[in-house]
Amino acid sequence: MNTAMNASAMTLLKTLSSSGTVRNAFPNYELDESYDEMFSSTGIPRDHYHALYRTLLELPPEELRKSQQAADLSFLHQGITFTVYDNKEGTERIFPNDLLPRIIPGEEWRKIEAGLTQRIAALNLFLKDIYHEGHILADKIIPRELVYSCRHFRREMRGLNVPRDIYVSICGSDLVRLPDGSFAVLEDNLRVPSGVSYMLANRKVLKRVFPTLFRDYGVCPIDHYTSALLAILRSLAPVNSAGQNEPSIALLTPGVFNSAYFEHTFLAQQMGIELVEGRDLLVHDNIVYMRTTSGLRRVDVIYRRVDDDFLDPITFRPDSNLGVPGLFNAYRAGNVALANAIGTGVADDKAIYAYVPSIVKYYLGEDEILPNIKTYLLTEKSELGYVLDNMDKLVIKAVGESGGYGMLIGPHSTAEQREEFRARIIAQPRNYIAQPTLALSSAPCFLDGGVEARHVDLRPYILFNGSVTLVPGGLTRVALRRGSLVVNSSQGGGSKDTWVLRREIEVD
Amino acid sequence: MLSRVAESLYWMSRYLERAQHTARLIDVDLQLRLDQSLESSTGRWLRLVEALHVPALLAGNVDATRLAHTLTFNRTNPSSIVSCIASARENLRHVREQSSSDMWEQLNRLYLQMIASPAEDEWVLRSHVLFRAVQDGAHLFQGITDSTMSHGEGWQYIQLGRFVERTDEVAALVATHFSRLSHPANQPVEGADYLDWVGLLKCCAAFEAYCKAYSAELRPIRVAEFLLLNSEFPHSIRFSVESVHAGLGRIGELTERKVTQPVRIAGRMRAALSFSQIEEIMAEGVHFYMENIRNQCTQAHAAIQQIYFDYPVESALAS
Amino acid sequence: MVYSIRHVTSFVYEPAIRESVMEVRVQPRNEARQRCLTFSLDISPRANIMTYRDFLGNTVHHFDIPGRHSQFKVTAQALVDVQAVPAPTPGAVGSWADLDSMVASGDFSEMLLPSQFAQSTELLRELTAELRLERSGDPLERMLELNHAIYGAFDYVQNVTSVDSPIDDALRDRKGVCQDLSHIMIAIVRELGVPCRYVSGYLCQRDGAHDRSADGATHAWLEAFLPGPGWVSFDPTNDLVGGERHIRVAVGRDYADVPPTRGVYKGDAESELSVAVMVTPAEAPSSEEITPRTVLRTRSPNRAGWEQFQHEQQQQ
Repeated sequence: MNTAMNASAMTLLKTLSSSGTVRNAFPNYELDESYDEMFSSTGIPRDHYHALYRTLLELPPEELRKSQQAADLSFLHQGITFTVYDNKEGTERIFPNDLLPRIIPGEEWRKIEAGLTQRIAALNLFLKDIYHEGHILADKIIPRELVYSCRHFRREMRGLNVPRDIYVSICGSDLVRLPDGSFAVLEDNLRVPSGVSYMLANRKVLKRVFPTLFRDYGVCPIDHYTSALLAILRSLAPVNSAGQNEPSIALLTPGVFNSAYFEHTFLAQQMGIELVEGRDLLVHDNIVYMRTTSGLRRVDVIYRRVDDDFLDPITFRPDSNLGVPGLFNAYRAGNVALANAIGTGVADDKAIYAYVPSIVKYYLGEDEILPNIKTYLLTEKSELGYVLDNMDKLVIKAVGESGGYGMLIGPHSTAEQREEFRARIIAQPRNYIAQPTLALSSAPCFLDGGVEARHVDLRPYILFNGSVTLVPGGLTRVALRRGSLVVNSSQGGGSKDTWVLRREIEVD
Repeated sequence: MLSRVAESLYWMSRYLERAQHTARLIDVDLQLRLDQSLESSTGRWLRLVEALHVPALLAGNVDATRLAHTLTFNRTNPSSIVSCIASARENLRHVREQSSSDMWEQLNRLYLQMIASPAEDEWVLRSHVLFRAVQDGAHLFQGITDSTMSHGEGWQYIQLGRFVERTDEVAALVATHFSRLSHPANQPVEGADYLDWVGLLKCCAAFEAYCKAYSAELRPIRVAEFLLLNSEFPHSIRFSVESVHAGLGRIGELTERKVTQPVRIAGRMRAALSFSQIEEIMAEGVHFYMENIRNQCTQAHAAIQQIYFDYPVESALAS
Repeated sequence: MVYSIRHVTSFVYEPAIRESVMEVRVQPRNEARQRCLTFSLDISPRANIMTYRDFLGNTVHHFDIPGRHSQFKVTAQALVDVQAVPAPTPGAVGSWADLDSMVASGDFSEMLLPSQFAQSTELLRELTAELRLERSGDPLERMLELNHAIYGAFDYVQNVTSVDSPIDDALRDRKGVCQDLSHIMIAIVRELGVPCRYVSGYLCQRDGAHDRSADGATHAWLEAFLPGPGWVSFDPTNDLVGGERHIRVAVGRDYADVPPTRGVYKGDAESELSVAVMVTPAEAPSSEEITPRTVLRTRSPNRAGWEQFQHEQQQQ
């Protein structure tokens, strides 16, 4: 049966290939100058997409539509939602999930893995250096004032030793595929990267929707993410704590109003650790405790999903009531570990990003495996001039922001928006960078009963404790609006499962 | 278990119980009103208002229908049914990961149903359906809770909240009733008063259970005995207090604490109720006895708060 | 010269509060020109005092009081030996070009970039234009002129600004206390490309010295980095160039880095903060009781959760 279907699909495929277009099969599938994950520029399916392509041709759209509805409903019921702040109550919406997997051949993945491993090792060394001796600054590889003026530079961390010199335990780097098919890093997220719960949830749904395809493809598993994360957190436990064998670990959430609250509850539940808010914790004599019904219980490691600024009203923002007064001093005394460490945001500042290749070279003596995107620093007079003259072609980003906020996409902007950004840039050039508008790669998505191409990026989640654990895959984020290049969930993005293949695909 | 989580579960449960109680009281009243003269229904209405601790400002409103609407829908009144359900939902929302998703869905559904509030003019005609929905919704939630959530420490706080609230509500209702209506204790109630005594039992969902125990002949002493001392009926004071006591005992074990103040208070109440004779209570005055119960209830609540939810840090550090 | 210093900070709350957490920066620095001979810190009610050195080398003590309390008191006592440094003379200082090359090769960015309280504003630019300050001639002379000009341009008036006032509050009416004047001068000096930092400490008042800053309070001034002598103190409040009477407790980019006390508590209370400081040339710490000169009453904002109290004492 299977063979017969494959045979008929092959016939169809040949017909399609000879006519040189994908339109017959998917009339709304548009190929443009960007790299398409499924089709080559001539409209022929790439080898590793053959099987999915065939499935899509065979599967009645009605069936896919039903699966999509079932998936949406299961997301809603599980509460896999995020909060949109467009009204004062804050509405909960599901994070749209697309049913079609994004497929990455194993050999491509190995390069990504090597590149990210190199990058996180270098960034971790960079953080240790700037918070201690500052060799890279003294050697003038990076301008000192650029580091000191980072919004997320925490001078309180200078001279402070963190457990095992690990600053970044969890990192989510955003990768894009360029028109030539190569991957590049668009940005790193070293503070509190989110989205990993969607990665896990998407996989669960896809295993149900395409069980045979999934098995036949030989997809690398990702389910061990939470246990790997737990192991990382355990490894940070202070040696002098009382519960050395069984460290007490908590996930610190800003609370139910945070847009990633679902993820916080999900991860806490999966790891079997306590989900706490700032008011559940207190510090006495440099020890952190949580208030439980059995009395105060010591906390050794905090996986914090609260930004630096809000962690401790004594050390950081005094108006914060999300944090714990005295937490920083307990941290300084080595009585509690935080993941990630405080002050990691300096390494994902978008102006520092421009220096990452130099950082890799400086600490590791290697060339970067995954390249950066060309970045214009507006503190450089020459680059500033170029950017102001070409605002309609460039993407301008605020350096300390993430999540797609504070961004101008030149080609899609109005003259008015450009003027507004121009004024802001001139007032504070340090606060912005510019990059060329990227043609993100596109991938097939199931929309309105048909298969269409949409732009995607890829956020793998990297766990680091000296060595790297990278679960093969990650969150492929999708710009669901046709032609859009913005994949952030807050800006109308969705996500899909990412299949990294265990073995090479044999072409039949 | 985190103190905050325990407290949220406890309050979630108290609010839901309160919503249910209020719904039952108003529903019973509006039903009986159809069969009664204006005079007797106004008397009962005033007792109801007293038992529900309606703020004086609102109670001055003689238009029962309008006041019922306020007690049901007014979001600025924290004890209105809608407010209670909203508070219950908010409490559960903050500890969603501790409950089952079915629980959340059910409570959320009830909330959404309530905030789609009908227009003031016509609502009273459909009010029975609405109050029924509140009670059914709360019962369903309770059933889902019992069958989908582990009966561990968290579940015990839910039990605790429900029965602390119920003890207090029933005691307040019985106290008001007995202090306002005088009838010879051992004489069957007849005539115009009959409906008032039926009303009291119905407000505690106890009419049918009472009839099974004593027949439909209503005598004040029997009504009091049933509502106070019956050990099997889940809305009786004794049953509620025993549940509180059992829950506290279990929580004490789970949190590895020695006999604590709340267990002592509940134990004392329990012992008094098990050994009391209804004749003594009647002689002493039901109203007085109920006030005493309510005081102890307040003490038990304060002790629970003090031991489990918001204990002074220095004492916890010392131990 | 050896000084005895006694610095008492008291907080009273009505009703009682709980879970106070506090950091204090009151220990005089130990460095080349100044030695802290003895130091003691006393907290009442009793608390376990812990300590660390912050990234600027200031000693910070911190503690928490978990139980209910309606008042507490922090008493710091120190004996400090301050060596007289001859004031640098114009001519002994390098040129602007020397300064620039030293700055380019050293780690001065922190004290050159704008900071929370010391940043340029419209009003500050007006003042700078008025002063017609330029990078010319001798850098030290320019600094001395600036110090004198700010002294002249501002009236010393207490209670027109508060602990967290931006410099514009003082600039608007040209009135303020030493904290404001120091922030203003720091912002101007940094604009000139001269590294500049805020100093928190004490001034030993002397009869006949015509000091404007309040006796019985903490004091603040600033230090500018000049080629040759290095960090030189300027006290625009009193038109002084730092010398033997200035006792340094903490240095930072501005006040926000070095408040003498900073803390939070739980509770909704009315609070009263009083500060008393006594500095005397002496061989031994004085034990006599001193009356507070600064008293501040506040009502905490009525909201749930953590309340930040008036932890911070304005430097006058």
